[in-house]
Amino acid sequence: MVNARYLFFLNLFISSVIGVRMTQIAAKNSASGSKPDPETWVDQYGDYLYRFALMRIKDQAVAEDLVQETFLAALRGRDNFKGRSGVKTWLSSILKHKIVDYLRKKSRETVITDIDMITETVDGFFHNNGSWKIQPKKWDTDPSKIYEQREFMDTLFNCLAKLPDRLSKVFMLREMEGHSTKEICNALQISSTNSWVMIYRARVFLRHCLEHSWFDKTKVENR
Amino acid sequence: MTHWMFDCKEVSRRVSESMDHNLPLYQRMLIQVHLMMCRCCVRFRRQVMMLREICRSYRLHENCTDMTANLSPDARERILRVLKLASENF
Repeated sequence: MVNARYLFFLNLFISSVIGVRMTQIAAKNSASGSKPDPETWVDQYGDYLYRFALMRIKDQAVAEDLVQETFLAALRGRDNFKGRSGVKTWLSSILKHKIVDYLRKKSRETVITDIDMITETVDGFFHNNGSWKIQPKKWDTDPSKIYEQREFMDTLFNCLAKLPDRLSKVFMLREMEGHSTKEICNALQISSTNSWVMIYRARVFLRHCLEHSWFDKTKVENR
Repeated sequence: MTHWMFDCKEVSRRVSESMDHNLPLYQRMLIQVHLMMCRCCVRFRRQVMMLREICRSYRLHENCTDMTANLSPDARERILRVLKLASENF
């Protein structure tokens, strides 16, 4: 009887020790899984990133190059990857910035390269007394579905590409990737106030750019 | 407009800021007073909020890409080669 009880507790002890060890191994595997070998990225995420780039760029060779640049940037920044988001989310976020950089270089229209120029542009939307000079028009659209329209998202990316690099970065980090102000400030080494001013200018510019390049045009087509 | 009230430029700036952090009560009140009188600023607020909604919905649904396109074997091989070379140099 005593032996049976002894064996029961011994069994319980061994299984709990094994359980803890298994959990430790699983945790270790999971942690290493968040920072896999760069070569496995190509197998796991290469096709996804390529499709994503192709959808925005519509040029196979450029899409392939952007995927390559994304992987190289990820390799360089691998140590900074905290693993809070998944590897796929992290890689697609790098790719989105690469796409905007590419569109910016390619754009035949004037790209606002200077922060002072964007300040001037945004100030130009207002009269000296602070009232609207270029008044926001009514947008007849359902925002819940518009992101499904490729042409609209192309327009949005093209508008983003017209912004100075740092402004488009701040906007994308905040609105597309949902980072907090604190995270953005740490990533770009700027103050909170600076980030709010930058994102304000980006919003005003993008709102105007979308109105001009999309909403005005679709309104005319629907007439 | 009296000097203590926000003008449209100020309201647009504060509306944008309110999307990123909490504003003091008196600023929120001044914005509300202005919005009751200004159709343009109401539109501005609605549209920048819409822009946020679009970006976030896009982020959640970005998996919906064309599943037929794949990275070509040549490109895959090239990328692997470049990555291997780069890893050795880091």
